[in-house]
Amino acid sequence: MEGAADSDTPVTERSAADRAAALARLLHRDCTRLLELYKERESFLSQHAPGGERLVTLALCPEALSTGEQVGHVRSALRRCMGLLECLIVREVEEMGEELEGEYESLRKTVRDRLGHLLHSTGALLEEGEGGCPPSPPLQCTEGQDEVEASGSFAAKIWTYRVLLELIHWTDSASQTLHLFHSEKHGQQQQLL
Amino acid sequence: MQGWVTLALLLSLRVKRSLGQNGVGELPVPRGLTLSPDLPAQTLSLTWQSDSSLFDLEIFHTELMNVVLNETVAVKADPVTGLHSWTWHSPLPLECTSHSARIRARNQQSVSQWSPLQTIPGSDIPEKSESFMFPQDKVVPVGSNMTFCCIVKEKDDFKEMMYGRQEMSATRLSRRTYAITVTNQPASGNTGTNVICCSQRLTLTGAVVFVGYPPGDEGLVCETRDLASAECSWKKGRDTRLRMKRSRTKYTLNGRDCLEANERKTWWCGSKVWEESWTLVARNPLGTVQLTDSAQLTDRVHLLAPVNVTVVEVEAWSATLQWSWSVAAYKKLEMVCQLQLFAHELSSTRNYSGPGLSSVVLESLWPDVDYTVTLRCGSKHSFWKWGNESAPYRIHTKMDRPDALDVWIRMDSSNTGRVFWKPLSMRKSHGALVGYEVSQSSAEEDGRTPVSVPPGNFSYPIIPNNSSDITVAVAARNPAGLSQPSTVTTPAYRADSQLSVSKLLGTNGSFVLSWQPNLNASNGYAVEWVPTGCSGLCPVDWKKVPESDCSFTVNSDSLVAGVRYTVSVYSLSTGAPTLLQRWQGYSQEMIPSQSVSELSPSQTGSDVLLSWKATAMEHQRGFIRGYTVYLANAAHLDLIANISDPEVQSYRVKGLSPSSYKFVVKAYTSAGEDAGSTVDIKIEMDTADMLFVGILVPLGIMFCCLILISICCYKKREWVKKAFYPEIPGPKVPGDWSSPQGPLDVKPSPHSLVHIVENPERDFTKEGLFPVPEEEEESENDNIEVDTDSDEPALLRYYNQVVGDGSHSNQVSDSSGSSTASVGSTQTEITYAGIQSPTSSQGACRGGGYRPQMQSVAGPAEPQIEFEADFQDDALNTGYKPQCSWQLDSPEAENFTGSLGSPTSVTSSRFLIPESSEEKPQPSNTWFHNFLSGKS
Repeated sequence: MEGAADSDTPVTERSAADRAAALARLLHRDCTRLLELYKERESFLSQHAPGGERLVTLALCPEALSTGEQVGHVRSALRRCMGLLECLIVREVEEMGEELEGEYESLRKTVRDRLGHLLHSTGALLEEGEGGCPPSPPLQCTEGQDEVEASGSFAAKIWTYRVLLELIHWTDSASQTLHLFHSEKHGQQQQLL
Repeated sequence: MQGWVTLALLLSLRVKRSLGQNGVGELPVPRGLTLSPDLPAQTLSLTWQSDSSLFDLEIFHTELMNVVLNETVAVKADPVTGLHSWTWHSPLPLECTSHSARIRARNQQSVSQWSPLQTIPGSDIPEKSESFMFPQDKVVPVGSNMTFCCIVKEKDDFKEMMYGRQEMSATRLSRRTYAITVTNQPASGNTGTNVICCSQRLTLTGAVVFVGYPPGDEGLVCETRDLASAECSWKKGRDTRLRMKRSRTKYTLNGRDCLEANERKTWWCGSKVWEESWTLVARNPLGTVQLTDSAQLTDRVHLLAPVNVTVVEVEAWSATLQWSWSVAAYKKLEMVCQLQLFAHELSSTRNYSGPGLSSVVLESLWPDVDYTVTLRCGSKHSFWKWGNESAPYRIHTKMDRPDALDVWIRMDSSNTGRVFWKPLSMRKSHGALVGYEVSQSSAEEDGRTPVSVPPGNFSYPIIPNNSSDITVAVAARNPAGLSQPSTVTTPAYRADSQLSVSKLLGTNGSFVLSWQPNLNASNGYAVEWVPTGCSGLCPVDWKKVPESDCSFTVNSDSLVAGVRYTVSVYSLSTGAPTLLQRWQGYSQEMIPSQSVSELSPSQTGSDVLLSWKATAMEHQRGFIRGYTVYLANAAHLDLIANISDPEVQSYRVKGLSPSSYKFVVKAYTSAGEDAGSTVDIKIEMDTADMLFVGILVPLGIMFCCLILISICCYKKREWVKKAFYPEIPGPKVPGDWSSPQGPLDVKPSPHSLVHIVENPERDFTKEGLFPVPEEEEESENDNIEVDTDSDEPALLRYYNQVVGDGSHSNQVSDSSGSSTASVGSTQTEITYAGIQSPTSSQGACRGGGYRPQMQSVAGPAEPQIEFEADFQDDALNTGYKPQCSWQLDSPEAENFTGSLGSPTSVTSSRFLIPESSEEKPQPSNTWFHNFLSGKS
């Protein structure tokens, strides 16, 4: 993995938080590239950015002040993003079929797989004692989709664009939070030694 | 009663007339107008009640009351409901803005009042404050026109609309609605064409339109693979360009959904039961295509591929092939199967038939051959098409003994020969050959041990027995055994010189031969051809011809162009072959590869004989037809002879003038000339001619020139004299000497008489002094030029006379006397051309007249003094003294060569008349001067 080479620390000695942070950085780049590909396909998006509210908004827990709790918070957002991404893939496959196998479709699958890995990694971190917000319920693709469907293909394209923006935002946020988390953990271990 | 009825009729007629005359207002207004929009279809249905059947309709965009329709339509009432109904298709989506409609009845020129306006609200009403774009997700055919509208958000302003990447010009329809019309739309991409509307606040609204084609499927064909079910397939046709699932083409076969095709993986549909007629419907939002097919099941049998193909028995010439079927119903089907055998140069296709065919015996295979077999079958009756082909299967047949060889024997001489045989082809070897066996026998000794020859050899030397014919037997061997031996008997050797060899000309690169039939040719004939002159391992080729044939064509494949072949025909019988006829020829003549050799010239007078030798036969490459002789010039060749007889190998070129020549001799065949041999020769004159030209001609020319010069000078003698030999004034002397006419009346001393002459051979342009002996003077005074020819002797004589020994002093001292004595001499003549200057004359006079200097060079000073004294005496006597003051051989003489002959002072060695004098002394005493001056 590209992120594995970002640190001078040997792989065997790298902490889980460090690996998760590297994976989040890689995923952030993938999501950015995925949005570029989508803009190339839907040309109007290169000139006109759609407005609208955020798709993934989580209210901070009043006690979520520690870094570990922030990781849990970001993970909840990533889970929501994962749900949106899977809905997006289902919708696009439903509409376009699986015949299209371009770079966009390939990267879209990669992002889903890596996002799954990141969720698993951060979930493992939280199981080691770092609590967080209660997990948000899994997203159902039908939630809110009726409105999109009724609005037609154009609304679906706008929705896809916004999902990709959410992915970029939250993977970036996860990268920073996990890096901070890793730094704190590393500092604590140094103090113990 | 009748009166009331009549009155009522009249009243009713009056009422009707009054209504007709009244026009407006008298027709009843249509009632109950209702508007029913079909938004996806963009249609508006109007229904109303009326007794009339002709109506005026008006439809407006409500907000700005723009009329979008004003039309008179004839609509009859529905007999059931009594309602009039009319539908309007709007080019603009009805949601774009509110539409209002009204209607009135019309009866020719009379119309009713308009009905009240009925309105359907658009999405731009204030209650719907959001932004919208219409229509959404429309599917339209390529090339269609379409209008899109954008409703901007309440309190927002319109900015622009774009179709794909193209900005469009929008039209305002209402306070919030703007529209664009796109014409001739191109096909969309995979996800449709985006149409977007942007407001000043960058609010983005849009729609997607899918532009494509209706289905283009064609060619429905149904067949059965298992004699029960059906498979119907068709060609997809043109791409509809509609990728979205909702607009893809949907297929139904005989009313049932075709799952295989609708999943877009294949273009076929299956049916578990065979139906005799089939209907495929292909439908997408832009159109429908219906395809049909009908056939009996037995007419559409398409068999599956045979499976488990194997060979159960393989022989050298045959094999048994077996296979099985995956469908049990095939076992009763009358079928035809096709086997394709692939092998190098041995491929073939064979058909077999039978009910439920599952094995065949492959006959006529070739031994030791790798075959690859594929198999396919079809229904024999009502054959529809070949079934699927089986997987390739490999068969290798066994080996067998080789076929007999084709042998021939050729005698190089009377006691050497070689037996040849042709290599066996794969079809005849029946396995890789391991060698040949050659054995020979004669009447005297039979059954010699056979000799094994490696498989790469195709000949073997034979040494015949002089006493009897030898029969040679050759057989080929492979692992399966030995072939039947082929025998041939040594023929008698016949050299070409012993025969009348005919010339043979090729025809299109081949030899066409024919010969007289021979009764002894019981086994036919053998035609043999071999390069002429070849011996030993020659590329001998032959062909055996049946007895019935007396002609044969040697194909160009076995002949090489430009090579001379010897072609022989033998009659074959039980004994030795007998030579019948022999030819030599070229299958195709070419130009000689080498030029004639030993080309040499030989000159005889003005003729040149060119001789050469013919090119060697292997280089001729054709029959030499003759030679051409050219004279080579700078840039081209001039043909001077064409010798059509090739035996003539010389040519005489006659009448050549002396010069250098280059001759080119070329041999030519029917194909053309060779490059040519070149020889150079230089033609020279004879000795007599050279003498004539080298000696007599220059002499003659010189003689003519002299004559011409002489004539010219004679004609112009006066001018020449004036120019080159002007008159020399006579020396001025006092007294009686002044008279130039009379001769001096002094008889000179016999030893002092001096002639002053020019010596031209010294290259002196000045005078010289020459003593003239008295005795000679008397005899030669009339021809002075004779003295000019004498040089040194004269000087010496003069010197001896003037300077001389001691006895001369007396003579000199006597010279005054002699001078006096010479006064009376009539023969004295002084020729002195260099003294013309008056100055010098005066100088001479100052000294009492001219006194020539007499200075001894080699003599002692004493005599010189004596001479001076004598001269002084002479000067008083004004007598003439010859001047001799320089030595010709001294170096100084050279420095004064320009002044030689000039008088010098008696006291000085300097010349009295220097060279710088303007008037140079001219020679005056040559024979030429005399000649020009007319003196004899």
